[in-house]
Amino acid sequence: MDFTRRSVTTGLALGVAMPALLRHALGQSASIKIGMVLPVTGPAADSGKYALTGAKIALDRVNKAGGILSRQVELVTEDDQTTNPGAVLAFSKLAAQSDIVAFLGSIRSTQNHAMAPDILKTAKPVCFGGTDPALTKLGNPWLFRFRPNDSYSGRVIAAYGAETLGKKNWAIVHSTDAFGTGGAKALTEALGKAGAKIALDQGYPNQSQDFTPVVLAIKSSGADVIGSYFTFDNDLAIFARQLRQLGVTIPWVGSPSIIVAGAVKLAGPALYGTYGVADYAVDASPESKEFAKLYGAVSNVAPDNYSSWTYDAIGVLCAAIAKAGDTDPDKVRAAILSTEGYKGAEGEYNFDQFGDGLHGYNIVRNEKGLIVFDKHIEFTD
Amino acid sequence: MGTILQLLFTGLGIGAVYALVALGFVLIFRATSVVNFAQGEFSMVAAYLMVVFAVDLGWPYWLSFLLAIGGMALLGAVFNLGVYYPLRNRTFLPVIISTIGASIFLSNTVLALYGPQPQVLPGWFDTPGIQLGPVYLDSQYLLIIAVTIVLVAFQYWFFEHTLLGKKLQATSQDKEMAALLGIPVATMIMITFVYSAVLGGIAGILVAPVLFVSIQMGSTIALKAFAATIIGGFGDVAGAIVGGLALGVIETFGAAYISVPFKDAFAFLVLILFLAFRPQGLFGERVAEKA
Repeated sequence: MDFTRRSVTTGLALGVAMPALLRHALGQSASIKIGMVLPVTGPAADSGKYALTGAKIALDRVNKAGGILSRQVELVTEDDQTTNPGAVLAFSKLAAQSDIVAFLGSIRSTQNHAMAPDILKTAKPVCFGGTDPALTKLGNPWLFRFRPNDSYSGRVIAAYGAETLGKKNWAIVHSTDAFGTGGAKALTEALGKAGAKIALDQGYPNQSQDFTPVVLAIKSSGADVIGSYFTFDNDLAIFARQLRQLGVTIPWVGSPSIIVAGAVKLAGPALYGTYGVADYAVDASPESKEFAKLYGAVSNVAPDNYSSWTYDAIGVLCAAIAKAGDTDPDKVRAAILSTEGYKGAEGEYNFDQFGDGLHGYNIVRNEKGLIVFDKHIEFTD
Repeated sequence: MGTILQLLFTGLGIGAVYALVALGFVLIFRATSVVNFAQGEFSMVAAYLMVVFAVDLGWPYWLSFLLAIGGMALLGAVFNLGVYYPLRNRTFLPVIISTIGASIFLSNTVLALYGPQPQVLPGWFDTPGIQLGPVYLDSQYLLIIAVTIVLVAFQYWFFEHTLLGKKLQATSQDKEMAALLGIPVATMIMITFVYSAVLGGIAGILVAPVLFVSIQMGSTIALKAFAATIIGGFGDVAGAIVGGLALGVIETFGAAYISVPFKDAFAFLVLILFLAFRPQGLFGERVAEKA
């Protein structure tokens, strides 16, 4: 066989073009890819494991039911290393894959803030779990929240502590990251409206090894109730232990991190009797019970909001793609925004113009390590 | 007064952990002239070994402790042979990079083997602590302070009153001269790595019931211990102890009386001040080149 310049050039061109031609030809049967940024390493690696489990359960359901648009759905993951630069890098790696149609972002507000400029450039829907209210007010049309934001948690914490428990003198303890400061701000505003007094507003840096100064400040402040926004389980558990050791027994109403499985296990009896706002509570609805059953079949850890939001996000996203009848980003975005009455594990999703899907919270209590559902509070404003 | 005593106790407890890890830094620096950036991971690995033996397998605490320390001695020896020894004749930079690589390897190995969830390790005592007037004394912090005192005393006796200790000192001061005097330098360095791994391991096991057992626990402690080493005077044993304790107390009081969010900043502010105005540290000697 003679190798002429023409035959070699034709061969090379075919070799380069063939994968693309095949992809195009098989386009209808190729899977729909969803990118997911999650912590596999770093301090929040445990929560990443739960998040992945929740997403996979939802994905499994969708695929077993025949997929969407007659195609199977596939998850592509990248480790955010529990850092902002790690999250940005992970998202950019996923965004570089043009066949990914939508993404699951972080449960940590600070990481979503870090990724937001790249998300805007990528112009594809990103479902996230961070609860800083500002995230859906950035003017970024591609951000969709799958947990109630902290303006709701602040209002629920304030309402429960000030009205149900009758406590009017508050100590607010919060992380100094975007989640913690955003939450504390929302709680302060809600307490102001409830006529309560802030005796102490105490921020702390993440991964603190000691909370003695914080606990002593609470003692000397004369506060009769604690409201908290902790980011990491181990920080919350160390604080809880030192709080009890130094004799502080006032009621404590915390953000969702107070009832997640990791914190409950680490802190043990130090969290008994505390209250938490929970976007996910097993007994809140038939859908949340069903999720608990599905989760229990694949994990020996109780489900919590780390897994429930990804479960709901995949569910809503797949329903939106099916409704759009296409994976075009603009059509999927419009379909998510028009989602109404979707019953998920965390509650009923009714997206507002900003991209917030949930508008209420559950109140739960730690009964000797068991998280017991109390009531659900929904806001319409 | 009660508040001050409470803060002092907590600061000394935290500082004692920094001091123990800092001691490991100093010993290896003196023996090899390089900083071992995996020193913090020694603490983390030992804490996980304790979780395996005492929690997962349910073996007695004292036996688990001895096995974990034995495991750390073995790790120290393997670390020396695998990370330091092949690069012993190179400049300090490849060795430092090698220790950073080992640090990443150790943390990711534990992550792969044990998973990312932080673990609970019970303390040595059933009683969590005692109330002494206005001050609550956490039994684990009491143990940490006591063990630090004992180890410092042991270290003084070992280095000043035993032949092996003097050989180790001779090796750290001048390896070539020590070799000329018939001291087996490679063995001395091996012993130093083993001892440093054991020291780091003891620190990790002691602090685990307070901070929980997690992949990143070592790096969190090591960063402060490294600062303590510089404050005390790099390469000085007494400096590492005083630097560690001082750092623990400074950051605790700084957090209580100035700002909690800037707690970590106080430690590094002190570090910067020392680097700017007394780079040789508290106990280090001023080094200058002759004209």
